[in-house]
Amino acid sequence: MDATSRPAVVIDNGTGYTKMGFAGNVEPCFIIPTVVAVNESFVSQSRGSGKGSWLAQHDAAVKADLDFFIGEEALSRSHSINTYNLSYPIRHGQVENWDTMERYWQQCIFNYLRCDPEDHYFLLTESPLTAPENREYTGEIMFETFNVPGLYIAVQAVLAIAAGYTTSKCEMTGVVVDAGDGITHIVPVADGYVIGSAIKSIPIAGRDLTLFVQQLMRERGENIPPEDSLEVARRIKEAYCYTCADIVKEFGKHDRDPEKYIKQWTGTKPKTGARYSCDVGYERFLAPEVFFNPEIYSSDYTTPLPVVVDKCIQSSPIDTRRALYKNIVLSGGSTMFKDFPRRLQRDIKKIVDARIGASDARLGGEVKSQAVDVNVVGHPIQRFAVWFGGSVLASTPEFYTACHTKEEYEEYGPSICRTNPVFKGMY
Amino acid sequence: MIVLETPSRFLLQVLLNRIQFLVKGVELDYHLVEFDDVRYHLQATMKDPHHMALSISIPTPPPETVLSGGLPFGAIEAVRGAYGAAMQIVDPAEDGFQLTLKLDLTKLPSNEEARTQLLIKIASLRSVVLGAPLREILKHLASKAVAPDADRLIALTHRPKESFFLIPQPEKVTVVFPMRFRDSIDVVLATSFLQEFMEARRTAGLNNAPPCHYSPSPPLELKGAPAHALNANAGFVSFVIFPRHVEGEKLDRTVWSLSTFHAYVSYHIKCSKSFMHTRMRRRVETLIQALNRAKPEVEKEKKTAQGRSFKRHL
Repeated sequence: MDATSRPAVVIDNGTGYTKMGFAGNVEPCFIIPTVVAVNESFVSQSRGSGKGSWLAQHDAAVKADLDFFIGEEALSRSHSINTYNLSYPIRHGQVENWDTMERYWQQCIFNYLRCDPEDHYFLLTESPLTAPENREYTGEIMFETFNVPGLYIAVQAVLAIAAGYTTSKCEMTGVVVDAGDGITHIVPVADGYVIGSAIKSIPIAGRDLTLFVQQLMRERGENIPPEDSLEVARRIKEAYCYTCADIVKEFGKHDRDPEKYIKQWTGTKPKTGARYSCDVGYERFLAPEVFFNPEIYSSDYTTPLPVVVDKCIQSSPIDTRRALYKNIVLSGGSTMFKDFPRRLQRDIKKIVDARIGASDARLGGEVKSQAVDVNVVGHPIQRFAVWFGGSVLASTPEFYTACHTKEEYEEYGPSICRTNPVFKGMY
Repeated sequence: MIVLETPSRFLLQVLLNRIQFLVKGVELDYHLVEFDDVRYHLQATMKDPHHMALSISIPTPPPETVLSGGLPFGAIEAVRGAYGAAMQIVDPAEDGFQLTLKLDLTKLPSNEEARTQLLIKIASLRSVVLGAPLREILKHLASKAVAPDADRLIALTHRPKESFFLIPQPEKVTVVFPMRFRDSIDVVLATSFLQEFMEARRTAGLNNAPPCHYSPSPPLELKGAPAHALNANAGFVSFVIFPRHVEGEKLDRTVWSLSTFHAYVSYHIKCSKSFMHTRMRRRVETLIQALNRAKPEVEKEKKTAQGRSFKRHL
């Protein structure tokens, strides 16, 4: 039986979470943290014993090789047993540690999806700024280690647009605001092609919001065990944060009506098992506000997200700009805050209207320009929009013809993975 | 981590979630493919949140294997025995699948532990269905009753168009796996892996494990097997299972390990490849370090405390 008759495997490796599943499904099978717990104790042991026992060294290395965990299991193991070291293979959207990344894929395929990699085509994703060398390396691992019959490496932004396209319009033009855990990218896409020169990135993403929440709570002196504070901050961010329309009014609302707005968080201390509780106050709206007023978080970076989105569109080719304003797509977990799309749309609209107003004034009312339609699109599935787009594209028959096959790899080498053509199903 | 787990992680996760959030019964529709071409289709509708439909399709059998109604012998009985009232067999099965089961969530045991046990059992559907004939034979061995078809070669499907062989005898059952791999590098790795595997059996700690033998040519036990079953590019592995390996609780584990042996080997070949890659990377790193040390040092411009630079004339 041919691999093309089976659904392709779609794996979206993000900095924070990995989404994986089979093409044709609506939801990924697993969403797990991109983290590997490696047992380093064997390695240090064998180094200490010197040259004498080669066999013992070898045995230790082999054991350590199989002794690792990924995802939630990794996190819980590293809490309870301290022989495991956590390693985050992806940083800022780029694979940094190929050793652990390879092991991570191994576990994803064999223990989570439980499929035989030789039986399925694979669709992997990459951030828009990935170097072609990294793509080659990914291809090498996939073809050499796992013997996959076919591989396609898609840009996350393109997939995020593809996720929206099933709903109403068949459009592959838009700006993707991809705010994940590690980094925020603003990527303009025209007809399925990324406009590389206009990509903007912001060094503020989910992890920074978490740190900000943690910092606020620490400064207020909330009773949270220090070893757990980052994890608690992340959970609070995910459960309680929202975007406000006006920060001053929001402060007023909180002060007037604390019962309604201040939430309680309860947890147990990991060491003693005692219960504790803390208040969740202003950080509920201050954390997402970092995107719109970055100066409250850091003094290094102060350009708000709407301004960057506008700049990005202004630096794109002029004939695409209207279409880009019309389709601003959100993706990634950090855009999930309540009312985030509405706030972003309002702020961008304000900038655009101001510019039109200025140009109208300059022309003195002789020529009226057409109003620009600004539209920010949010999905209910923003968290795994990229995965869903991948699932949609990989279930089209054209996907299989666009993939690089193992035969091609063996004929031409890993350099074929550098380019991944835009295919028919995309537009 | 080293062995593949019996229950499918995904099925178990979905079932547990479903029980926990039964009130918010959402629409579910999943198509899954597992190794060796086992496919599942899991469905639940909004209208009927207490029922779920689970279909399974098994690998296409080779000609030497005999099935009854598209399923291995004894599979229906095994399913009935394992799940009781909670799962009902739907007849006919969904199009493209061999078996469809309807799960009634209201009939699950109320005791938390028993319920989890049953859910794990449901998630292990594959082992119940595909392992049914093997389990039957091994049960005979455990009870030391002479199986009705002793000393006859039995073929059981474990991969699409491939089977492994059993020779039941009164005191032992010999299991022979013809090992086939598609990739030429995999074949080489598999051969040395299996040789090591056989060697490892001889270490002191594993005295009670089933005796294991590896040979590149078909063993004598396979004399009566059809010719196409005898061309395996990575040799033949045989295990001898004694009654002590199938006593009580061990039975399920033995059945699972035997019926997924090929997947186990293929998993470990991939693991060893990535292990070698790790070693290669580390080696390259040390070589690069050595190269970097050999680079002539470029004299840096030194700066004074005021930030001015100056050149030293020697």
